[in-house]
Amino acid sequence: MPENTGEQRRNIKYINGLEIIIDGDGFMQNPSLWSEEVARFLALEAGIETLNDQQWQVLRFIRAYYTEQGKEPMNHKIKLGVGLSLMEIEALFPGGIAKGARRLAGLPKARGCAAG
Amino acid sequence: MKRVHLTVNGTRRQFVVDEDRVLLDLLREDLKLTGAKQSCDRKGQCGACTVIVNGKTVNSCLTRVAGLEGADILTVEGLGTPANPHLIQEAFVIAGAIQCGFCTPGMIMATKALLDRNPDPDPEEIKHALRRNLCRCTGYARIFKAVELAGRFLRKEITPAEVTPDPNDGQIGVSHQRPWSMLKACGLAEYSADVIMPGALEIAVVRSPHHRAKLLGIDTSEAKKMPGVAGIMTAADIKGSNSMGFGKDQPVLCTDNLPVLGAAVAVVAADTQKQALAAAAAVKVDYEELPAMRNSSEAMAEGAPEVHPGIPNICHTAGQIKGDAKAALEKSAAVVSGEFYSPLIHQAPLEPEAVVSFMDGKGEDAQLVVIGRSIWIHQHAQMIQDAVGWGNVRYIEAFAGGQFGIKCDLTSEAIAGAAALHFQRPIRYIPSLTESMWMTPKRHPFRMKTRMGADADGKLTGLEMDMIVENGAYMSIGPGIIERALGMLSSGYNIPHVLVDAKLVYTNDAWGGAARGAGPPQANFALESCMDLLAAKLDMDPCEFRCINGLQPGQTTSNGQATDDWPFNACLEKIKPIYDQAKKEARVFKSGSLLRGVGLAGSSFGIADPGDVSNVSVELDSDGGVTIYGSVADPGEGNDAMLTQICAHLMNIPREKVRLSTRDTELTPDSGLSAGSRQTYMSGKALVIAIEALKGAMEACGATTRDELVKAGKAFRYMGTNTKSHTGMDQKTGQGELWDSYCHGVQLAEVEVDTDTGKVRVVKMTAVVDPGTVINPLAVTCQIEGGMDMGAGMALREEYVHGKTKDWVSYKFPTTKTSFDMETIFLETPREKGPLGATGVGEFTLVPTHPAIINAVYNAVGIRIYDMPATPEKVLAALKAKTV
Repeated sequence: MPENTGEQRRNIKYINGLEIIIDGDGFMQNPSLWSEEVARFLALEAGIETLNDQQWQVLRFIRAYYTEQGKEPMNHKIKLGVGLSLMEIEALFPGGIAKGARRLAGLPKARGCAAG
Repeated sequence: MKRVHLTVNGTRRQFVVDEDRVLLDLLREDLKLTGAKQSCDRKGQCGACTVIVNGKTVNSCLTRVAGLEGADILTVEGLGTPANPHLIQEAFVIAGAIQCGFCTPGMIMATKALLDRNPDPDPEEIKHALRRNLCRCTGYARIFKAVELAGRFLRKEITPAEVTPDPNDGQIGVSHQRPWSMLKACGLAEYSADVIMPGALEIAVVRSPHHRAKLLGIDTSEAKKMPGVAGIMTAADIKGSNSMGFGKDQPVLCTDNLPVLGAAVAVVAADTQKQALAAAAAVKVDYEELPAMRNSSEAMAEGAPEVHPGIPNICHTAGQIKGDAKAALEKSAAVVSGEFYSPLIHQAPLEPEAVVSFMDGKGEDAQLVVIGRSIWIHQHAQMIQDAVGWGNVRYIEAFAGGQFGIKCDLTSEAIAGAAALHFQRPIRYIPSLTESMWMTPKRHPFRMKTRMGADADGKLTGLEMDMIVENGAYMSIGPGIIERALGMLSSGYNIPHVLVDAKLVYTNDAWGGAARGAGPPQANFALESCMDLLAAKLDMDPCEFRCINGLQPGQTTSNGQATDDWPFNACLEKIKPIYDQAKKEARVFKSGSLLRGVGLAGSSFGIADPGDVSNVSVELDSDGGVTIYGSVADPGEGNDAMLTQICAHLMNIPREKVRLSTRDTELTPDSGLSAGSRQTYMSGKALVIAIEALKGAMEACGATTRDELVKAGKAFRYMGTNTKSHTGMDQKTGQGELWDSYCHGVQLAEVEVDTDTGKVRVVKMTAVVDPGTVINPLAVTCQIEGGMDMGAGMALREEYVHGKTKDWVSYKFPTTKTSFDMETIFLETPREKGPLGATGVGEFTLVPTHPAIINAVYNAVGIRIYDMPATPEKVLAALKAKTV
């Protein structure tokens, strides 16, 4: 069954005194507000009690790449950056890389609304 | 086979060709002269392939080489080069006649033939000479000016230097030549189909011929054996998510549910396109055809099957509640109502959805490279990665032949990328025009039951609307379309009470997506029609009625967004005397069968929604120049000029020393999409931030050069990030801050209605627009003109019927015959948060045009058109009904 992402619900979370807007699919609206505290919060919501070293390694690589390069890394770049296979990285997060690691790293989801 | 001798661009050669080989193929494939383009499926409808044979223009797509023995052929490449352009090419660049550039070589060759035989043509002769050359971007006005200018150059009345802005005139507010225009004028800009890739496999796609069907099986056994076939790919061969849309409901290749005519089923790869098409026709597909729901009434009917099993056909709902509209309307002195319909419309870029793809390298480190028509390369690279299951994708943007929203969705790239990965061979996918129409999103149809009221003084009281948006078969950005429509619903006016119920409905029709304006143009048709209906009911002048209802400081838009600065009212004031004069002039034409009328409509167009981000980097080059890095696609709007002029201004360097790197995901940061009128506002500002960082670093260490920065231990590359983090609009109440900026404007339509035929002719459109600081006036004017031409098509001609509309004639594409006079007047209220005070303008331009024209038709003959387009048949029927 195809996934319906027609919902555009926005949830507001208050984390470390900051108002964080989360879209209907769980992605941060404003990536610049990401912090490790936010990652822990999102991880908890995704069922990860405590992020382990490998998970942090992946998240920190994605964040560093995103901040320095101004773009999201391709999966291949993540693989090279953290020295794990894609299968291993996919298995680290519920939702894999696309809906797991990228989401916890505070990367934004494609914004269909802007198009015109 | 036949042997012929041809002189092409001055060089005589012999060719041995098939009897049916056409000149376009010889030029493009054998001689690699790709200036001549293919758009209309070789029907001679578009003129993009125009070249000159023995002094006369021909459609090279229809001209057989075998019949050309001894012919002298001139293509755009033979006319001039960027270093030594022909005067006609210079005229096209200087006059602003080039936007996407896909039609330009053909236009220039048609102009050459005209001016060779008639050095001083009058306007009608120019229109006639270019009647077979189509352009979607410009509205033709600048092309006519270019032909006139070229004539003056050739007659030596004036030189290009005399009409070229002086470099010392500054950078902002000056119509400098756009950096990429000359490349386009010389036929050297490479569009996707122009990429030379020897040995590439050509692919053809097997597509469902039914509006709704179930896929029962695919038999490729016979097709596989056909000549040249390298293989056949089905959904089972795709390793990734096989999902290519924003809504995750759109497979690259379908597995069972075929919700729309044209749904892709299989891909055939062969040595030639002809072989691929033949084999695709031989693939046996077992379909179970099912009853189709082609519109929202059918899809919402009791017991209607689900377009996507498991998802309700009403797939998204939203609302807007401001105050108490029902009570306000109850108490209003005047209330008008109507059911307005804006149809399915094709954005109609001239270029088909061509793409090439290949694997760079071997093994698991190989990179899947796509060269295509994207205006959102980073996003599309990520989507391809997920769809095909390959974690290393590079997207390189080719020149794009028109955009208008259609290139926000991923289309042919996902198929070509999957094929390159599966077959491990380079892939060329050059779909036909009809197939391109099948695989692309369209402008959503809107059905709007509307009531609007005003008090006895003419002040608006309330608006109530039931909005049904027909989404077609796939989600794409449907919810965003409704959000945009609600976020701009009240346009520039103060409507204290608003109540909207909006539904997005799946149907078995072509799916909606981004289309210039994307939602607000449809809703504005209902709003601005009701503005005129109310003015008539209150016996008020439509302009006066609008003036007293403009939003004032302290008041809010329909989504409750407050604003202090609202130049919409100044636009109304500016157009008032022009409107009054036009009304006087129209009175002269109030008898006989040709009656004239004038109509107004406005727009306050929102730009930059929550979460919008743009990143742009600048690098100080060794020679003191600056290279700008950012995926700021320019499918014709003028982003090349915007970036270049801002940078030259702030760095105080010549424009020639500003270099652009915008096309490659490997080289650029993500600047977001070139849509939503956002690039000037978002990426222009990100550029300003980056330059400030560079200049700050230089000042901090006293460096004036890159070497000095390096010696001081400083970086020579800096990135600017522009992020929008306002809260957004609540989905149920439609309240909240949605936009970071607005473009304002009002348009005046002057039309002539033939009461014998029902035909409506646009005589003139006048636009007053306030886009903040105007960086390049000509580029902005060209956007306004092109948008008004598109809006006129929406009002009077254009409607896409999936399965029936197949080419430019059946779509009623605008031609020189449908063109009209246009005038643009700027107000420039600086926008505090925009780059140097600027904001975007590319979509605003369309939003008021069609309602202004429909209102002008009413003013001319007293009939109100509720369902666009206002075809001669509808106008005649309304005239007849009025007299009965």
